[in-house]
Amino acid sequence: MNLLEQYGLLLALTISIAGTVFCLYGLARAIGPTRQEPGKDVPASSGVLSRDPVWGRYHARYYGYALLFLAFDMEMAFMYPWAVVYKEVGMVALLDMGVFLAILFLGLLYGWSQGAFRRQ
Amino acid sequence: MTVAIVLLALFGSAWLLAVIEGWMVTGRLSPAAPLFSGLAHLGRESILPRSPDRVFFEAAPVLLLVVAVLGMAVLPLAPDLIIADLGTGALFINAALAYVLVAVIMAGWGPDGAYAMIGGWRFLGQLIAYSMLIVMPITAVAMRAESLLNTAIVGSQAVLWNIVYQPLGFVLFFIAAMALAFRAPFDLPTAEGELGGGVDAEYTGVRLAVLRLARLTLVVTLASATTVFYLGGWHGPLLPPWAWSLIKTLAVAVSMLLVGRYLPRIREADLMRWCWILGIPLALLNIIIVGLLILVVP
Repeated sequence: MNLLEQYGLLLALTISIAGTVFCLYGLARAIGPTRQEPGKDVPASSGVLSRDPVWGRYHARYYGYALLFLAFDMEMAFMYPWAVVYKEVGMVALLDMGVFLAILFLGLLYGWSQGAFRRQ
Repeated sequence: MTVAIVLLALFGSAWLLAVIEGWMVTGRLSPAAPLFSGLAHLGRESILPRSPDRVFFEAAPVLLLVVAVLGMAVLPLAPDLIIADLGTGALFINAALAYVLVAVIMAGWGPDGAYAMIGGWRFLGQLIAYSMLIVMPITAVAMRAESLLNTAIVGSQAVLWNIVYQPLGFVLFFIAAMALAFRAPFDLPTAEGELGGGVDAEYTGVRLAVLRLARLTLVVTLASATTVFYLGGWHGPLLPPWAWSLIKTLAVAVSMLLVGRYLPRIREADLMRWCWILGIPLALLNIIIVGLLILVVP
């Protein structure tokens, strides 16, 4: 199987799973209608509609982690190709990535010292 | 044909897992219970909340199910029994599993309910905690296999399984996989005690049936990933390769359920703190240890 066929297969799988689920929905609807009653569609909040809008702004108390996460997530994009050729390149690869990781790790320690790992 | 066999194995394992979970909770072994429960959900009404974001609300359960199946599609059950042996398989599964977060946030945002919304945002924090512990151990696995092909990763473990070669990576990956599947003790987005079901709360009827199926399937997919990356995949004596894959996958999945049953739910702040001050340094250490082992021991 070539690459295009593989991705085509994955796309077909996605579409057929979604199609199956929608068939299930159709089946459930075909079983019978349901009665409309007031108050049945209130979201779970102890029976009353919430006073404040739910789609508001929330304080992301973990933003310190989130900033560090960005740095590490970018780094992982480089790690995968590096991991594949690692054994071939040998010691040089370990040193190269070691220096890179050490700098990143220092960033982690710095973030820790500045209270990034505390709920703000 | 391959597609049919893999899907049958996936959903069959999900059914077995549901039976075992029911056995652990109720003490009764009833193989038909998950099927009847699913049929009953078909007959129940599926309420749409008062002012939903309809697209997100409808898409979330479907997306979660699709993600779990796509993850399984790149994992081998036997040397030839794999739907798509992608050249970037180990990376593809990361990409697929990233959409679990999207699905959970959609399920939280969709119904316009406070508990669901809090559950969704909680899972975003949980992702920041567990995500690195999924990605970094897989890197160390790929270093040993010199490939991102999942079949090559299993092939590299013919003599020595990765659980022995890099036990640290296995432990980190196992914990992170449980957090990714949001099973207890990491079930923060659905926490029954605090959020009354959280992201699950607004789903009823057939939509709830799909959501539950998706969550079970996700556990099977992650257990299968653990098997492929750390437990030597299809390798084993006597039995045929596919049987070994299934046995190991089910064993990992059941151990995930067992661990969750005997531990209290962890607080989100604690989870993030432990993952970052302990988990990530250990994951980096794991990469360095594996790197040295590869160079020193041929």
